[in-house]
Amino acid sequence: MTRHTRILMSVIYWAFIVYLFVPLVLMVVMGFKDSKFIGFPIRGWTTEWYSGVMQDAEVMGVFAYSMAIALASTFLSLVIGTWVACFLGPYKFRGKLIVFAVTCLPAVIPGIISAIALRIFARGIDIEPGMLAIILGHTVHNVPFVALVVMARLSTLPRSHIEAARDLGADAIVAFFRVTLPYLRPALIGAGIFCMLLSFDDFVRAYFLGGYDPTLPVLIFAKLRSGMSPEINAIATVVLVLTAALGLWAERSMRRLNKGAS
Amino acid sequence: MRRPDRKINGMAHLESKYAEAPCAPAKPVRSGKAARRNFWGGLLANDTYQAVVDVLLKNERRQFWVLAAFPLAWVLFAHLGPVLQMFWISFLDSYPPTAGRQPQFTVDNWVAFFQEAIFVMPFLRTLVYSAVFTACTLILTYPVAYFLAKHVKRRNQLLFLLLLLIPFWVGEIVRTYAIMIMLGNNGALNLALKSIGLIDRPIPFMYTGFSMGVGIVYLTSLYMLLPLYSALEKIPNSYLEAAADLGAGSWHRFRKVTLPLSREGVASGCTLVFLISTGYYATPVLLGGPSTTVFAETIAGFFHVAGDKWPIGAAFASLMLITTLGLTGIFLKLMGRSGKGLMK
Amino acid sequence: MGYSANDRQAVVRLDRITKRFGEVTAIDCLDMEIMAGEFITFLGPSGCGKSTTLRILGGFERPDEGRVVVGGQDVTRLPPNKRDVNMVFQDYALFPHMTVAQNIAFGLELKGRTRGEIDKRIGELVDFLHLSALRERTPDQLSGGQRQRVALARALAPDPKLLLLDEPLGALDAKLRGQVQVELKDIQKSTGKTFFFVTHDQEEALTMSDRIVVMNAGKVEQDGTPEDLYFRPKSRFVAEFIGETNLIEGTVRGSDNGAIVIDWNGLEVRGAAQQGSVPAAGQSVVASLRLENVLCHAEKPEQPNAVSGRVVHRIFKGSRMALDIRVGEREDAVIKVYMDANEAGRFAQEHLWISWDPQRLSVLHG
Repeated sequence: MTRHTRILMSVIYWAFIVYLFVPLVLMVVMGFKDSKFIGFPIRGWTTEWYSGVMQDAEVMGVFAYSMAIALASTFLSLVIGTWVACFLGPYKFRGKLIVFAVTCLPAVIPGIISAIALRIFARGIDIEPGMLAIILGHTVHNVPFVALVVMARLSTLPRSHIEAARDLGADAIVAFFRVTLPYLRPALIGAGIFCMLLSFDDFVRAYFLGGYDPTLPVLIFAKLRSGMSPEINAIATVVLVLTAALGLWAERSMRRLNKGAS
Repeated sequence: MRRPDRKINGMAHLESKYAEAPCAPAKPVRSGKAARRNFWGGLLANDTYQAVVDVLLKNERRQFWVLAAFPLAWVLFAHLGPVLQMFWISFLDSYPPTAGRQPQFTVDNWVAFFQEAIFVMPFLRTLVYSAVFTACTLILTYPVAYFLAKHVKRRNQLLFLLLLLIPFWVGEIVRTYAIMIMLGNNGALNLALKSIGLIDRPIPFMYTGFSMGVGIVYLTSLYMLLPLYSALEKIPNSYLEAAADLGAGSWHRFRKVTLPLSREGVASGCTLVFLISTGYYATPVLLGGPSTTVFAETIAGFFHVAGDKWPIGAAFASLMLITTLGLTGIFLKLMGRSGKGLMK
Repeated sequence: MGYSANDRQAVVRLDRITKRFGEVTAIDCLDMEIMAGEFITFLGPSGCGKSTTLRILGGFERPDEGRVVVGGQDVTRLPPNKRDVNMVFQDYALFPHMTVAQNIAFGLELKGRTRGEIDKRIGELVDFLHLSALRERTPDQLSGGQRQRVALARALAPDPKLLLLDEPLGALDAKLRGQVQVELKDIQKSTGKTFFFVTHDQEEALTMSDRIVVMNAGKVEQDGTPEDLYFRPKSRFVAEFIGETNLIEGTVRGSDNGAIVIDWNGLEVRGAAQQGSVPAAGQSVVASLRLENVLCHAEKPEQPNAVSGRVVHRIFKGSRMALDIRVGEREDAVIKVYMDANEAGRFAQEHLWISWDPQRLSVLHG
């Protein structure tokens, strides 16, 4: 490629980065504005919004609620997704493609429809809108991602490893726990963190499946309907910092794991 | 490794020891840690466990079904179930069922869609908007993906990608809010335009198709970028070098080599973005206005108000599902692919 | 070790084993015994059935017909984890998340041994196989040769009655392979274990085995010691597969003082029949002549089987020279000879005479 193209491309990339980050930066900055109204220019600065959020029991409660849902649904998604992957991966059988398609279904349905369908379904199996419904909804949505990631990793496990375990005395169950599962660890950690993020960030499902208590995105949405305020910025920034930290930590541990246990 | 100098007496001695009682453990040498047995060894020696395993894993066929039972049940029940049930109640005349009344089968709910403009308009609007936004996202992100795949050294690519990923971990609500701040009458964009003297009074960006578009493109760029990057990265540089060697110029190379070979990535990316953008609810509500009502809002309306409007909502949702998946299928067929090909 | 064949007990019995994969018969009625302490190699080209036999012994395939008896126990229906047989896999299959010590301990842990016993056993094996410095390493920190030793240690740890080795030297480079071949043989002798080795490399088989079974398309071609197979091949397949040889195809004219007279493209040559089968006159036969048994002369020698020829290729191989000598007009009338470098200097001319001892021309079945 010519030097000019190179520079142009480079500029495009960095412009895109700026485009992605600037709104977020502005949002963080706006949280320091000493005024009840959102808007530029910013004349005075204060940290009262941020400290207010930190001390607000309601917000902290919502944060804990979102976290609990994320942890529960992630655990379920990992168990179910891994089980599905171990079934779909190695075995060949008639109808495998259909089962695979149905497994991926929740991931390709547009969000609103997924939320509606789950809402109806929850009613059908007698689950009230609330924490359990949201956990179920998130689990259903996240299982396809877990299954795909685990299937990819599982396909790189040489058959001889399992045969060696069996040769040395393991039955199928022991071989799974002592050889397969440790091998899957990088995939599970990656998928797990991805699920945490998906669940924590999710809006549509939490909105339609939720009861009286909101999750963090639902809380922000509700507050936004009544108008913007720097308080919301502070809350949003807390979410931002948390999720970014989680994502970065995930990347680092994935990188380390992939180097170690290949 | 030289010849071992001594014979391995230990081997012969141990052989006889193990041969005496192959399954019974020998007496412990000393108590405490050395006498511990491995958990799995203990489990295998346990009679109850063996009995259970003998039943479960008796032969290949049984093993298959023991493994398959739960996933099949889950996938049918939890993945397919909700969609099927949604279809089902779209044909009922009342849901949730009221006491003492059997719901009747009807197609009225579906017919109702075509009868009112306030239903049809948002539906068509959603499809058109999503198509337009998808195209915008494609044009916006293709150069970035190209840069990443072709102009960045392989070992740095992950780092550059990581940088792009960070904003996406933050979630749709936070990012939508960030766009709201940017586009408001007192927002950053208006401030910037004012300070360079282009305008005197702020432009009302918010609550328009434009603001909604900016938001949705902002939210979905990654879903276009990753498949594009993945496809472009797979194109061997040698192809382009060969084309250059044969006399093709930059633009020509792009049109004849790169673009066709990235087709699969374009197809995946467009599919993903289209499906995701039709599904957004919060972003159109926050960034759009009355003139940009999308179908998601229409559907939602039936579920947040009275309980007995569910069947209509279900019908509309089903209609949207069929349409979007159908359009996607046609699109993929046109692009020369059938199905995702994600399996191996 | 001093065992003679009579002292040994049969530790494995393969009783009329047949295995089919769809239309293909991978193993056709294999019936044989393996003696305790033997280093037996199954040798043959891809698809001959040697790997299938190995997997049947290990329990990873089930025969369609026949029984497998190991140590007096009918294991035909038993899965791998219930057999007293262990395997060294072609890719070693070391568990990547475990250290060397943990890998070796794996089989013993599952047998329910105490930690003390296991540690002791690991210590023995680690010392024996010179792995002491590598105990706490993980497989990705080991070289190919080291991994192979760990795989061996892991398979030996539970003290199985039979050790299976599935072409374990394929991944090693040529020099290392030669070294490891000798080491493996030593280990087998020291431990007295029965080794069942599978390979397609005939040189490897000759180096290490007490006994070789050559397989071809599911059937046993020949079963004997390396010397048996090399010097007394029974069939064309074995003669060609093992070592290098010249094959002479001709028609039997009769016998003369114990030697078989063969009409080879108009030339009369003499060979020796194998024990117990003298081909009749008029029969078409194939005879095998090892390259090292061909003698070269500048002029016609006073020896049996003297044939004149013309050198068509002279190939320098370092320590020796390979010559292709055409002895007739037909395509296949070419004899290959090895000559050491010194000798080659004396035979620079184009025409020479070759001869061989009739005993060295082995007349084969089929």
